[in-house]
Amino acid sequence: MKKTNPSFLNGVPELLVLRLLARRAMYGYQIVEEIRTQSGEALSFGEGCIYPYLHHLEAEKFVSSRRLEVEGRSRNYYQLTPRGEKRLAELGSEWKRVTAGVARLLGEQYA
Amino acid sequence: MPDFIDQLRCRLLELGCPADRMRRMVREVAEHRDDLLVAAQMEGVGVAEAEARLGSPQVLAEELMESLRHATWCGRHRFISFGLLPLLLFPVFWLLALFFGALAGYLVCCGGNEITLKNLTANPVALSHLLLVLRGTDYITTGLLFLGFCLLARRSGAGFKWLGVAGLICAVYALFLGWGLMPYTFYLSFTIHPNWLRAAIPLSMLVLACWRRQRVVHEALKTAR
Repeated sequence: MKKTNPSFLNGVPELLVLRLLARRAMYGYQIVEEIRTQSGEALSFGEGCIYPYLHHLEAEKFVSSRRLEVEGRSRNYYQLTPRGEKRLAELGSEWKRVTAGVARLLGEQYA
Repeated sequence: MPDFIDQLRCRLLELGCPADRMRRMVREVAEHRDDLLVAAQMEGVGVAEAEARLGSPQVLAEELMESLRHATWCGRHRFISFGLLPLLLFPVFWLLALFFGALAGYLVCCGGNEITLKNLTANPVALSHLLLVLRGTDYITTGLLFLGFCLLARRSGAGFKWLGVAGLICAVYALFLGWGLMPYTFYLSFTIHPNWLRAAIPLSMLVLACWRRQRVVHEALKTAR
């Protein structure tokens, strides 16, 4: 059967969060700020939503969390697990495949 | 009016969030809120505007509970876990517990005296002891089985609706499952004579769980005010 891409939209936040955590361990507020600033404020959402999302990723064992004290402030830091790295690679290649398809469809005008 | 964090805490409690998970969720969101307020102060933005960036506390609580449910098999498959599983597990475990209870009771009460099921009725002391062991096993098993579903519902964040479904199934079984001692045999069966006392065990546990949740939510609201 031809491979479909139902996770095209659902997988975008997952891809973004895993990509950010691949660079370094972060806590919820940092992740939200990074998404906001690095996307040029194009991506914004109810910031609390990041926690159900992180907990879901943790339950899937794509990320792990630990309590760390940095500059006198204690926060829950999330970091990518080996399973999360694999997931990131899968989502990354899926993203490339889908965006290449969309780009071909839209043509140069929207590239 | 309760602040954002208190509203979140109360809604999580209402949804039946386990205490340890609730503490972690509330702590993380509270820390996020603190960071937002520090940033807002530097940018000259008001508290309400900064809190609005977190979204609605009610919606957030529901999403946090959904993530908790998603983390366990029972949470993801609530119909199977709290609708079908009690239907299958209750009679099986109850039968097994009663069978082993009867066996243990027989060995303890009658083992050393060469009493068989045939002449058990002729020995009223042994008979009353055996009946006591069986009744105890019966009622304790009913309670423990429903307690298992309570713990499962709590751990998976399934909520009171599904716990209620499991409780009703357990109560119906408790109402109509029966056992008895005959001169030649020990039998287990469905009966048309309902056992209201046994059925009251899961139902009263359900009522107790609901009352406890209401009390906890009420206290959290009182503290918030």
